[in-house]
Amino acid sequence: MTTVHAIAGRISRRVAGLLATLFAASFVIFAAVYAAPGDPAVFLAGGRDKLTPERLAQVRAQYHLDEPLVVQYGRWLWDCVHFDLGRSFKYSDQVADLITARLPTTLQLVAYASVLFVVLGVGAGILAAVKRSTWVDSAVVGGTTLAASVPSFVAAIALVSLFGVQLGWFPVTGAGDGAMDTLHHLTLPACSLALGALAVISRVTRQAMADAAASDHVEAARASGVPERDIVRRHVLRNALGPIVTMCGLVMAGMLAGTVVVETAFGISGIGSLLVGAINTHDFPVAQAVLLLMVTGYIVVTTLVDLVHPLLDPRVKEATAR
Amino acid sequence: MTTTRTAAVAWLAALALLTATGCSGADRPAGDRAPADAAKLDLTATTPAAEDALAKANWLLEDEPDSLDLDAQGTSAGRIVLTNVCERLYQLQPDMSTKPHLAEKGQASADGKTLTLGLRDDVTFHDGSKMTADDVLWSLKRHADPDMEQADEFENVAAMEKTGEHEITVRFKEPDALFLKALAGDAGIVWNKARVRESGKEFGTPGQPDACSGPYELTRWDSGDSITIRAHDAYWGEQPLTREVVFKWATDSALVNALKTGAADGAYAESPNTAAALRGDKGLSQYYGPSTASLVLIPTARGGMQDDRIRHALSLALDRKGIAESGFGGLVQPWASPVGSGAWGYEKDTFAAAQKKLAAGAPASPDADDLAEAKRLVKESGAPTEPVVIGTDASQGRTVTANAVRAALQRIGLKGEIKTVPTAQFEEFYSDEQARGDIDLLVGDWYISKADPVGFYDNGLSTSPNNWVGFKDAAYDRLVKKALGTLDDTERAGLATDIQQRFVEAAVWIPVAQVPTILVLDSELTGPTSSQAYLYYPWAAGLGKKKAG
Repeated sequence: MTTVHAIAGRISRRVAGLLATLFAASFVIFAAVYAAPGDPAVFLAGGRDKLTPERLAQVRAQYHLDEPLVVQYGRWLWDCVHFDLGRSFKYSDQVADLITARLPTTLQLVAYASVLFVVLGVGAGILAAVKRSTWVDSAVVGGTTLAASVPSFVAAIALVSLFGVQLGWFPVTGAGDGAMDTLHHLTLPACSLALGALAVISRVTRQAMADAAASDHVEAARASGVPERDIVRRHVLRNALGPIVTMCGLVMAGMLAGTVVVETAFGISGIGSLLVGAINTHDFPVAQAVLLLMVTGYIVVTTLVDLVHPLLDPRVKEATAR
Repeated sequence: MTTTRTAAVAWLAALALLTATGCSGADRPAGDRAPADAAKLDLTATTPAAEDALAKANWLLEDEPDSLDLDAQGTSAGRIVLTNVCERLYQLQPDMSTKPHLAEKGQASADGKTLTLGLRDDVTFHDGSKMTADDVLWSLKRHADPDMEQADEFENVAAMEKTGEHEITVRFKEPDALFLKALAGDAGIVWNKARVRESGKEFGTPGQPDACSGPYELTRWDSGDSITIRAHDAYWGEQPLTREVVFKWATDSALVNALKTGAADGAYAESPNTAAALRGDKGLSQYYGPSTASLVLIPTARGGMQDDRIRHALSLALDRKGIAESGFGGLVQPWASPVGSGAWGYEKDTFAAAQKKLAAGAPASPDADDLAEAKRLVKESGAPTEPVVIGTDASQGRTVTANAVRAALQRIGLKGEIKTVPTAQFEEFYSDEQARGDIDLLVGDWYISKADPVGFYDNGLSTSPNNWVGFKDAAYDRLVKKALGTLDDTERAGLATDIQQRFVEAAVWIPVAQVPTILVLDSELTGPTSSQAYLYYPWAAGLGKKKAG
């Protein structure tokens, strides 16, 4: 009974925390978009020759832009709790429709990039840790340092000009239709997105494993003749998993908000370009919805990491139970 | 060779991306190739006619259309698509003249206050229903609604009514010479009333059918992915050569790469620098056509620019050719009036002759005499010591222009100072007097949607919100009002050149260059219009392969 209560309490605390975070975030976001330079009416008036004071006033009234910030925010919040995200100023389409059309592409891109950086990053990190102080280690450290210093847009351009334009192996724009075509289209974008993350993850993996390898019980296991292979797998890697998983989760959550540069370079219409477009044109309803979605995504991913932790490391479980 | 070209593209892309992500940066022309010779750009309104059918064309836009309801939100991306799907009462021709289209004829009364439109009786919408006078009247009233974008075109209209089975009569408060031109633009689109009503608020959003009568029908719009239009089998007019056009969108490097690799067959390049990066690519042809767009310097009434002698001196000392070549890859043309040659929708010879006369006050490259005269003007005005503040954003073209202005000011003994703002803020210079409160001169650009210079020169009216420098001339105001009400083309052209002369003499704005329409097209294809009419004329209907076989 008590455990059920405890779990229910924990879940409700989490949900309440989530809602409070979303509420606070939504106001901060709304105020930030409101305060950003540029006048939304200018974008909605329909061309330079229509920027007369009368037309601007008309547009402001039509989109309620002439009301104080708090009233505009209240109007948005009221609709939002009634499950109405409103209509985009720019696209005059339902915000929900705009997001549903673009979210899958961004999610696919992030998932693809995550698979790449988790597999390759953790792999390289393990390799470097196991072969510590050899040329393999130096090569991994050197390579990842180089990769970490390349911003994703530079990587995107280098990849696209080599594999897209020169060799013609991969398409240069768009997201593709169907599973194989999508994979083909998203390979270069996912690689450029994963490159920087790969460096971070391999470094974290290497360091976490080095720390774990230095602990007493590993020494003890080694002294009692346990095979090196088992030591690495059952003692070193197992103990190092905590920080690695945490880092992977954080990097992946961060990626959800960081796809815009890669989307622009590859002509992919995803959530990132939608957001930047919305911010540049002061499209409040869209910017608000996308940013909240990103905040939610971040919270969900980090919560999942928290939940997975006790499964990986019994010591964490004991700590939370106490 | 290929390597250097790719490197250039890469740099273009890198810089363009910086702009896209909001850092300072710029789109720039490829540095390793000589720019086009700006003075010798040959502008043609059409491309050679296509001879063979094409099953499908992939076209690139620079952005996804906001909406395909141009009354609600008109952007050029939306127009490029919709002009093949929807038709207007009048039609803008590739040579920028205006011809009756869904309206078979338009008859103005002797006093110019009544316009009778005789409608075609053989037009069917894509759902098979016939176009009626009720559809036309309803569409006109929708355009005229104050919440809609084209409302300002109907300011002079007193009443619109159906006066026959195929006849609409429009009554004006005052004769309006630009009204027919507006009917060839977004204010003249005829909607299928029943269809628009059926879609309600969703009209023009993805997933909704079109409500028009043009050669193509809208078959698909996947939000965030692509738009497909297909030749309408039951079209009342001639069948187009290209059966299907798929539109996708990309900017800067993605656009350049897609055209380079053949992933896209063509695009209208909105930025001359995109086209500059593709010059010399063997698989692609480029066509340059007349447009109304221009690069201009817009003075404010704040500092030294108040004095028209200083404005003249600047105009004389400005290196327009240098700006065209280093800022725009040579794809803009030094120009002596504030509106491009695409505005000459009638009496072209009159306007061309007038343009030649203006060239003395706006040299492509200033010579010693120009500079001497400029220095004399500065001296005469008492040579202000305060620096001239030049407002710009960080884009390549504007930065180069701003620097050229500063150089010109220095050459004639004045000081210049550049104030750079983010692109999002830049537009505010146009709309907000306070925003331009601390600049003396804006590095601006302008275009007009109706092919008539008179539609531009109302910016010089003493009451116009775009007359920042506070130019006041009762004779000028009178002439503009008269021209706006003069329906006869020859007479209006005469008035327009007179007005233009006064505007340029007073240097209300300082002309820099005209920006042509640029069409980038797969070398095996031809046919679409290469003038600014691509926004209002069914250009895709002319697209096809060069030779049969």
